[in-house]
Amino acid sequence: MQPWVIATSVIFVYLVLSLWLGLVANRRMTINLEDFLLYGRKAGFILLYLTVVATYHSAFAFLGSGGFFYANGIGFWAAGTWTVLVGAITYVIGTRVWALGKAFGYITPADMLADFYESEAVRVSVAVVSVLFTILYIQAQAQGLGYIITVASGGHISYPVGTLILLVVAVSYLMAGGLRAVYWTDALQGVWMYLAVWIGALFLAYKLFGGPLALWHAVETKAPALLSVPGPKGLFTPGMWIGMTVTLSFGVVFQPQMMIRWYTAVDAKTMKLLGATTPIYLMTLYIPTALIGLGGAIVLPHLAVPDQIFPDLLTRYAPAWLAGIILAGATAAAMSTLDSILHANMTVLTRDVYQRYIRPGRSDAHYVWVGRAIVFVLLGAAYGLSMYSSPFLVTLVTLSGSGALQLMPAILGVCFPGKRVLSRAGVVAGLAASMVTLYETLVVHPMLLGIHGGIWGLFVNFAVAVVVSKFTEQPSADTVRRVHGELERFVYGTEE
Amino acid sequence: MENPEAPKGRPTYRSHLIPRTRDGWIATVTFLVVFALAMPPFTHTVWDRLYPTILGMPFFYSVLLFLYLALIGVLIWAYRRGV
Repeated sequence: MQPWVIATSVIFVYLVLSLWLGLVANRRMTINLEDFLLYGRKAGFILLYLTVVATYHSAFAFLGSGGFFYANGIGFWAAGTWTVLVGAITYVIGTRVWALGKAFGYITPADMLADFYESEAVRVSVAVVSVLFTILYIQAQAQGLGYIITVASGGHISYPVGTLILLVVAVSYLMAGGLRAVYWTDALQGVWMYLAVWIGALFLAYKLFGGPLALWHAVETKAPALLSVPGPKGLFTPGMWIGMTVTLSFGVVFQPQMMIRWYTAVDAKTMKLLGATTPIYLMTLYIPTALIGLGGAIVLPHLAVPDQIFPDLLTRYAPAWLAGIILAGATAAAMSTLDSILHANMTVLTRDVYQRYIRPGRSDAHYVWVGRAIVFVLLGAAYGLSMYSSPFLVTLVTLSGSGALQLMPAILGVCFPGKRVLSRAGVVAGLAASMVTLYETLVVHPMLLGIHGGIWGLFVNFAVAVVVSKFTEQPSADTVRRVHGELERFVYGTEE
Repeated sequence: MENPEAPKGRPTYRSHLIPRTRDGWIATVTFLVVFALAMPPFTHTVWDRLYPTILGMPFFYSVLLFLYLALIGVLIWAYRRGV
């Protein structure tokens, strides 16, 4: 049997497993909006852990991080800072978001913010920012999927056909079983991708160098420039290090697919344990990708597309069955993020737009079917985007983490009671000012004064929100008492 | 706990950004200090060197790995202490 047949078959076995999980989830599902969108708020630790880490790590972590180490050297080890920060944010902010979601029945991030700031303008602004900046991730994941299947099949399955097959599989199990199907497949994908990247890296390190330590020694002697910052291309300057740390921690966890997961935890203890332990998975995934990228730079220098280093090494040096298992892991990394973003966008559009403004007061079954229809539309959008690649879109994808980051002032205003409270006008004005700032500092003048655009946007956002809030009406005393009082009781067990 | 200096008409609370327990202070300060060590300028000056290697790995990589593990340790300690 030819190697490409073996590799492709392994990926298809993985796809069949995912579809089977979706079908089983469908049988367990009740026609209930909270069950379809939030897993009935009863996700236990292991399931929640695997879906969070699988959603956080995408095709970028599996393929792109190796490419970053390959091209820019050890500076990408900065990844440890943002993955650890993701855990701390979950521990401190995630538990508060969970508590408020449970107390007041929030389903989307916009639910929480619109309730506290008593404003539909806030709801719409947050929904727009959430969908606009995350839908661009869909394009990146879809392209990654098409690329993986094309490489695994040795070009026998074309990019458009491969992308379509994988998108249809992801959408099928999502439509069938809602968030339950996404969680179950994420659990499978989370385990598969972690084992795949470690096994692949160790296999290549032993086969090509005699082991990880020999690999490090080879890089030290043959390409020492890769082991210093800011790296051979000067990318990882202090400003870039700080910018990536902030945008890829706060900027990712404030995206709807992550915040919605917080609402689904069964209890507060689960949320805290999640925060304390997610960095173990998230950070240690970058240990093998460092070996792949840096070792690859010694074995296969001068690759035109650095992101291809892992698949290229596998197809050259690994047996077909192993390459298939590992590339199925890459597929899992992309699909677990893609399905979560599709689900999050479906939730935001169903809950914050359709249920709120178009057809309020209908049955849960009606909204579940509308959600499925929205997923179908998103499938078309994802496929269309995956066929379209331009520098502008790439720029927009880099915007996505910075975009969600701009929700920080509004979220902190809700989650951290204090002397001052932001107003609805302040939140909307801050968001609007940050969008303009992002365009200026990410697209027009990147790394202005050596500072990442996401940081510039956040700085302007905070300043505008605070100043405008000083002169505009703040949330009512009843709402502040209700929401902040709930947090006071939840965190400190005291009454106001 | 309500803030006695709060403006009238709207309830305000003691800041949730300041820890209120000893364990809370220890966890917060330790995390921030260790995290600062994993950020510039330390990364681009003190830690930016190949040697001495630690367990066969470059100094820069090893030190940061140690700091990341220490940060995870702080989070787990905070969880176990109920912070």
